[in-house]
Amino acid sequence: MKFTINRSAFIKELNNVQRAISSKTTIPILTGLKLDVASDAITLTGSDADISIETTIPAVDDNNTLVVEAEGSIVLPARFFSEIVKKLPEDTMTVNVEDGFQTQITSGAASFTINGLDPENYPHLPEIDTTNTVTLAGDVFKELIGQTVIAVSTQESRPILTGVHFILKDGEFLAVATDSHRLSQRKIKLPEANNADYDVIIPGKSLTELSRMIGDNNPDVQMRLSENQVLFVLGNTSFYSRLLEGNYPDTSRLIPKESSTTVEIEAPALSAAIERASLLSHESRNNVVRFSVNPSDKTVTIFGNSPDVGEVTEQLQPAELTGDELEISFNPDYMKEALRSFGQAMIRISFTMALRPFTLVPTEDGENFIQLITPVRTF
Amino acid sequence: MDKRDLYDSFGGMEQQMQQMLDKMAKLRADMTTVLEKNAELVIENEHLRERMVEIENELPKKPVGTTTLSKSRQNLEKLYDEGFHVCNQFYGKRRNDDESCVFCLDVIYGERERP
Repeated sequence: MKFTINRSAFIKELNNVQRAISSKTTIPILTGLKLDVASDAITLTGSDADISIETTIPAVDDNNTLVVEAEGSIVLPARFFSEIVKKLPEDTMTVNVEDGFQTQITSGAASFTINGLDPENYPHLPEIDTTNTVTLAGDVFKELIGQTVIAVSTQESRPILTGVHFILKDGEFLAVATDSHRLSQRKIKLPEANNADYDVIIPGKSLTELSRMIGDNNPDVQMRLSENQVLFVLGNTSFYSRLLEGNYPDTSRLIPKESSTTVEIEAPALSAAIERASLLSHESRNNVVRFSVNPSDKTVTIFGNSPDVGEVTEQLQPAELTGDELEISFNPDYMKEALRSFGQAMIRISFTMALRPFTLVPTEDGENFIQLITPVRTF
Repeated sequence: MDKRDLYDSFGGMEQQMQQMLDKMAKLRADMTTVLEKNAELVIENEHLRERMVEIENELPKKPVGTTTLSKSRQNLEKLYDEGFHVCNQFYGKRRNDDESCVFCLDVIYGERERP
């Protein structure tokens, strides 16, 4: 196996593949990076058993200046290999596997020889049939991930809640995540996928990695599903992730349909106020802020306190306020994260009663994006 | 291993055991306190219930209260307030630091069509 390639083009792809490679894996060969060299392209593969990333560098693209002299495969220790590649002196580099698995990397006057591993021992990537494909716009999908992944549980004791639940039905793509304290739900219309029907749970960690790979120059993401794996195709890169097994709890019934009090307010203004109140609430044991809605003078009061430090009150003038008087307490961190996902938008908060969850939606397009937060009981 | 290390590790172990023993004694003492308190509360509770029955008998029938929760839901609410999950997902597990749970709230307050 021997090839020469433009170093910066190679590093770009190497960085993508390296997202999947973990140094903490229990399977030694997975600390390596697999290189497959064919006559017209080279393929890089990295995996941590949960996520696998495979990317192809074609010879047809002149920017790569890829010249293949001999075909073959090798697994190289990823950490050393990438550090070596990044520090090489010239614009191009040559990788040559001589006898056995000894690999020589040369660039200009520098020459490294490192020990590789047998590519035969590298696990095979799952095979996913290409018929079940859903195409999503990259930026929309990235936004969807950003909005839902915040509500994913970080507790491994609740494995099913560490994923985002995706349902594709009747041309509508629905993503829900909850850690049982808050919930985030986003819908996208996909009219072209009218007969597809999916119900899968994708680990939140995989989605976070995936969204980092969706750059501005990757307009479309193709999603393909099999029994226990999902594959996302972004241009020349394939991103495989394991699916979570089990039944996701029914979340459709958790979202209240009616409300007795609604408040419309600018997300950044509320976010700033919550941020201030949380300065003190973080010091107290239960970390809650109180949110009082006063319809008589159309104000909202936010109150936070810590028995040891002191207290804070702030009065806000929402754009719109209707319904009954209400006093509710919640964890300000959930509120902050939820508000951040709305960006600069105007939002509507709907309450039913002090003990029941309340929802936040953007005033425009409130149907497709909902954040739900559960109140904390205070006595 | 050096002989001194051997002695040191014996010393260390002895100390750990001593600590463990102290901890155990303390735990037992704590448990006794809790049990005593529990017994007191049980007795007090009985008294209060008796008293309640007396008062209820004295008073004419009360108008229906503001709460519309059924008896069983009230029970669940009580469990939730005591710091336990009552939802299908985590039933009976402790709620750490009084965390709220959207599933429990649905079970307690959610609308449910009667079959």
